[in-house]
Amino acid sequence: MKKLFYLIISGAVLFASCDKTDTSSGNKTTSTSNTGQGGSLARFTTAMDYLYVVDDSKLYTYSMANTAHPQLKGTIDVGFSIETIYSYKDKLFIGSSTAMYVYSLTDPAHPDKLGQAQHVRACDPVVANDSLAYVTVRSGSRCGGTNNALMVYDVKYIMQPLLRTTVNMESPWGLGMKDNRLYVCNGANGLNVYDISNPIQPKLLKQLAGNTFYDVIIIDNLMVAMIEGGTALYELKTNDEISLAAKITN
Amino acid sequence: MRPNNLLFCTLLLGTIILSSCDPYRKRHHVDPKPNPPAEVDGWAPVYNKDSSAAIIKSSDPRTIDKGGKIYIKGDTLYQVEVGKGIHVIDVKQPANPQKLAFINVLGAQEMAIKDNVMYTNNLNDLVVLDISNVKDIKLLDRISSVFHMVDQNFPPGTGYYECVDRSKGTVVGWEQKTLNYPQCSR
Repeated sequence: MKKLFYLIISGAVLFASCDKTDTSSGNKTTSTSNTGQGGSLARFTTAMDYLYVVDDSKLYTYSMANTAHPQLKGTIDVGFSIETIYSYKDKLFIGSSTAMYVYSLTDPAHPDKLGQAQHVRACDPVVANDSLAYVTVRSGSRCGGTNNALMVYDVKYIMQPLLRTTVNMESPWGLGMKDNRLYVCNGANGLNVYDISNPIQPKLLKQLAGNTFYDVIIIDNLMVAMIEGGTALYELKTNDEISLAAKITN
Repeated sequence: MRPNNLLFCTLLLGTIILSSCDPYRKRHHVDPKPNPPAEVDGWAPVYNKDSSAAIIKSSDPRTIDKGGKIYIKGDTLYQVEVGKGIHVIDVKQPANPQKLAFINVLGAQEMAIKDNVMYTNNLNDLVVLDISNVKDIKLLDRISSVFHMVDQNFPPGTGYYECVDRSKGTVVGWEQKTLNYPQCSR
C-alpha cells in the first residue's frame, strides 16, 4: 500500500453558509479577488490582496499589490506547533496543536492579535459560519488526543469557544460544506455526509466508500477529493446522490 | 577575579534557566530508545539527490506518486506532488480530466494563485511563477529562506523515524512508512 507523505495534518477553511454572495460552499475572504481555493489543510492563504503564510512558529504577511513581486510586510511570532491558517471575513485564524490564535485584518498589512482560544486542538480542520466551527480531531496524529471525532463548537464569543456536540468517527481528516450538507473525510473509512439543517446536531446521512479520503474542495456541484494516491472528482447531484466522475491516481 | 567568577556563574545559571524553559529545545530533543521495535509505523526522510534544487520548470505530465494538497482555480485543479512539484490538471469535464503539465518545484508543499501567478515554496524559499502557459512557466521572483517550511532534521510528528543521512541528498519532505529497527525517535 502506498503510504501517505507528510501532510500538514491540520488546517482550516471557513465557509459562510449564510452569505448571499456565496454560490456554493467556499466563502473564504479570498472570494472577492481573483484567487483560487485551497483545501482545508493549508499553510498559505490569501485575503484582501495579501498572501499569509505560516510555518511552525511565525506568520508572514506579503502584499500582492504587485502580483509578480510580493513584498514582505511583516513577520509575527505566533506560537509553537502552528499547523494551519485560514481567513474568514476580516479575521485570520491560526491553528496549532494547543490553541487557536485570532488576528484582525482591519489593517491587512499588519495583522493584529485579538486573542487566543486555549485548550482547543485547532490543528485539525474547521469549517464554520459566523457562530459555529466544525473541528475534526484524530488520534495518533501530531495533534495527539485519544478521540476520533467531529466536534461542533459555538464560536460566537471567539475567545471562549463552547463545545456543543461530539460526533464519533473512525479517522476524520479534512472537511467541506455545501448548503446544509457537511462532507467529512474519514480516511480509509471513506467519506461521511452529514445533514446540518440543525447545525449543532450533524446527522449522518450516508457514507461514501471506495477511497481513502483526506480532504475535499467543493465548487458548485463538483467535489474534488484528495484521496490516497491522487485525486477523485465527484458530482454532487440532487437527493444527495454522489457520483464518481473520474479518478486521477496515476 | 571574584567579580569575574560571579559574572560567569550568573551567566551560566541564566543560560541553564533559559535553556531549560526553551520550548524549541524541548521540541527538538531526540530521545534515544534502547530497544527499537522490529517493525513500527514512523517517519522517513525523502531525499533529492539532484543538486539542481533551485531549478523550476515545466515538464510533461507525470504520474501522481505521492499526491499532496489540492487547489482549484477556475477549471484547473492543482495537486502537489509532495516534495517534487505540482500537477496541473484540466477538470472542465469532470468525467474526463486531462493532465496538462507538471511544474517541477523541489520541496513543494503549499500553494496559492492570484490571476496567472502562482506562489509556492521551493524548500524554504517563497517562489513566484507566471503560469499563463503551464507548459512553460516562468520564475518571476524568489524570496530566499524566509520561512521554515521543510524541516531537514526532524519529522513533522513524534515517534520513531529513520535517521537523516546527509550522504543521500537534501531532505525535501517526510513520508509516513513502516520502519524496521528505527534508530531515531523524538
